[in-house]
Amino acid sequence: MIRFEHVTKVYESTGGGQDIMALHDVNLHIRKGEFVFVLGHSGAGKSTFLKLILREEVATEGRVLVNKNDLSTIRQRDIPYLRRGLGVVFQDFRLIPTMTAYENVAFAMRVTNIPERQIKRRVPYVLNLVGLAGKAHSLPQELSGGEQQRIALARALVHSPPIIIADEPTGNIDPELSVEIMELLQAINSVGTTIVVVTHERDLAQRFHKRMIVIDHGEVIDDGLARVRGARV
Amino acid sequence: MNWSSFKYLVKQGWHNMVANRLMTVASLGVLTACLVITGIAGILSISVSNFVQSLGDKDMVEVFIADEATEEQINQWGQQLPALSNVASCEFISKAQAVEDMKEEMGEYADVLKDYEGEGNESNPLPASFRIYVKDIALLSQTVNEIQQIGGDMFYRINSPTELGDILVQLRRVVNVAGWGLVAVLGIVSVVIISNTIRLTVFARRKEINIMKFVGATNAFIRMPFFVEGMTVGALAGLISTVLVGGAYFAALKALAQPGAMWLDEFTQCLYPFHVVILPLAGVFVLFGMFIGSAGCAFSIRKHLKV
Repeated sequence: MIRFEHVTKVYESTGGGQDIMALHDVNLHIRKGEFVFVLGHSGAGKSTFLKLILREEVATEGRVLVNKNDLSTIRQRDIPYLRRGLGVVFQDFRLIPTMTAYENVAFAMRVTNIPERQIKRRVPYVLNLVGLAGKAHSLPQELSGGEQQRIALARALVHSPPIIIADEPTGNIDPELSVEIMELLQAINSVGTTIVVVTHERDLAQRFHKRMIVIDHGEVIDDGLARVRGARV
Repeated sequence: MNWSSFKYLVKQGWHNMVANRLMTVASLGVLTACLVITGIAGILSISVSNFVQSLGDKDMVEVFIADEATEEQINQWGQQLPALSNVASCEFISKAQAVEDMKEEMGEYADVLKDYEGEGNESNPLPASFRIYVKDIALLSQTVNEIQQIGGDMFYRINSPTELGDILVQLRRVVNVAGWGLVAVLGIVSVVIISNTIRLTVFARRKEINIMKFVGATNAFIRMPFFVEGMTVGALAGLISTVLVGGAYFAALKALAQPGAMWLDEFTQCLYPFHVVILPLAGVFVLFGMFIGSAGCAFSIRKHLKV
């Protein structure tokens, strides 16, 4: 599903200062159906890790493979199709404020040219799945942080991507709601979707007994495969 | 792209126009103003150019032939002169014909020419001549030189309005350069203004564009509503400009149709009738408006697609 092979990412300084090494010789493999936490403090390299998967950035050295696509050689016009195979949940939800909850979710299907008939069937189903069937016509600002995050999750889920990536999904919500969101992700994972949660909340991650990849100063310092019961190495 | 996506994107473009109505009105106003000025400049340029051309058509070169010229020479010149590239027509006026023409001009005093009538009248002081009409007044001086070379001293005098010709040519050139220059400048100004207006809209919606990119939207999908917006504003501006310029043209034609000075009548005759002008005008305005609207859009959105 996701493979990093000796990946190094250096941001070149634009103002004559020193170059920044965001990731250094990272090797990891996330398999189909896994639930993985990527942990690290602020500035550890988590965001770069995510940007490389989304092909927002390109590795300076090494190879990043996502859904069998080599992201260092992928053509510019194929990037949208790569992203359609990834559902992304952001810390700041990134909902369009002028669209209702329904429209925000439907939007992700529309950009992929899915016929309207199918959208009308699928969106209410997904909203129901995240427990927001009754809020379909509410605007994002009329919803709580947790509800907005669930809309964002519904949007990530709606076209059934094989991988869901959540960037600090609990960063802007209460601890109780955080658990709720994580349980929702776990439920999605149980039907075979690969989940990658990027977070700095080690305590929360530890409650779920999943694989934990710890990044610090751009290097993978711990990959908790062994602690996960039944995980393949 | 399937039909439902296409419909959705077109609707989105129109929805955005209404949602950002202040921007829409601003773009519409600017583009309409530019198109109106461009249209007026274009119509004026074409009309004045036509007028100058028509004045040129009336230009006649008179070549006076010395009495010593033989009939054989005259026949030869009668073949050589029409063969010149800028000569539209050439007519030989014999000495006797010249008397007849002058009699006509003199009206009631025609009798004073009675003694000079008739072919081969030795006392007839009027010379035989060629009346030549040119195709392009801009080449008049050169044509006069060529005529002179054909006849040499036997063409003892050539009357041609070369000075007027030069003035008309210059006038036509100035009108063309100024008119089309203005059209070009205003076209560029329109693209820049529309592009800036759309850039503001794009900037206000950069977050939305960013989200679109992350959910897998192609660049074409993201661009489409902005294109629809730009092209619709352009087409609307085109229609409004057609009504304004067409109305002004109609009023001008009506006013010029009143009896006025002779040159004004001649100018009016050079103007295209309203029914001939209105459809091409509408077509050009709408297409030009749509082109400017979409060009402005293309310039402004490119930067935000690099995610």
